[in-house]
Amino acid sequence: MKPIRVLIVDDSAVMRKIVERCLRQAGIDLTEVVEANNGLEGLAALQGGKVDLILSDINMPAMDGLEFLHGLRDVENAKNIPVVMITTEGSESRVVEALSAGARGYIRKPFTPDQVKERVTPLLEGVR
Amino acid sequence: MNPALSDRAARVQPDSTWPAIIVQSATEVFQLMLNSNIEVPPTPPSERQGQVCAMVGLAGSLCAVFRIRCSKESAHSIATKMLGGQNPDDEGAAYDALGEMANMLAGNFKGKISGLSDSCALSVPTVVIGEDYDVYPLSGGHQIEVHLVYEGKPVSVTLELSG
Repeated sequence: MKPIRVLIVDDSAVMRKIVERCLRQAGIDLTEVVEANNGLEGLAALQGGKVDLILSDINMPAMDGLEFLHGLRDVENAKNIPVVMITTEGSESRVVEALSAGARGYIRKPFTPDQVKERVTPLLEGVR
Repeated sequence: MNPALSDRAARVQPDSTWPAIIVQSATEVFQLMLNSNIEVPPTPPSERQGQVCAMVGLAGSLCAVFRIRCSKESAHSIATKMLGGQNPDDEGAAYDALGEMANMLAGNFKGKISGLSDSCALSVPTVVIGEDYDVYPLSGGHQIEVHLVYEGKPVSVTLELSG
């Protein structure tokens, strides 16, 4: 698999590290992990270059994951980049809203590394 | 706006099954995120224990605060296990980890309660450090508290309900 650059957006640094570890355990070769505390930082980080995959929490301060998703529409570097939402929300309406706004998948917390692999790996077929 | 907050959904009322559902929710989160089992002690501890308390608010059809409280040592252990055995960089990471545990516990719990999933929103976590404080229930409120044991140390999970 081609090495990828990933953006992980979550207000928890521990959760960002867990997600990174899960991606590596899934056999995904990460050339760089760009981290952001919230949606605003995530949008700003994308100004610094394109990524191959975005994973984002929904429930965050400053700018939540759904606002972030809407904001991605105006970011040239985010065009056609798969976005996977990671959320504690059991709410179907929030998940449907995320998918309608362009997310390609979602992972519910708590999760296992296998669940991350199942959701993310198929989305990377295009960058192999 | 979060749909859970956009209309006046019918209030969900707690019932006698909720303590067991809280235990089940906590058990699942500890198993999936830490690969650890927790137990319910035969008798609750005689006094409060734990200097770290992580809280997540719930708003909508249920107005409440979910709290998980444990010692600094347990919070450190939780962070280490969440990080796959890697020691957290600093004390803040241990508190961050406990905040995420509270977040996942609250989310897992609300997903198990009929009518709550789509009508109740979660806040971001807050962590309080210290032992000598009291939480005053809101008007007409009450609490559901469950006591658990993680690696031989007490962990309490409390759902503080507003009236």
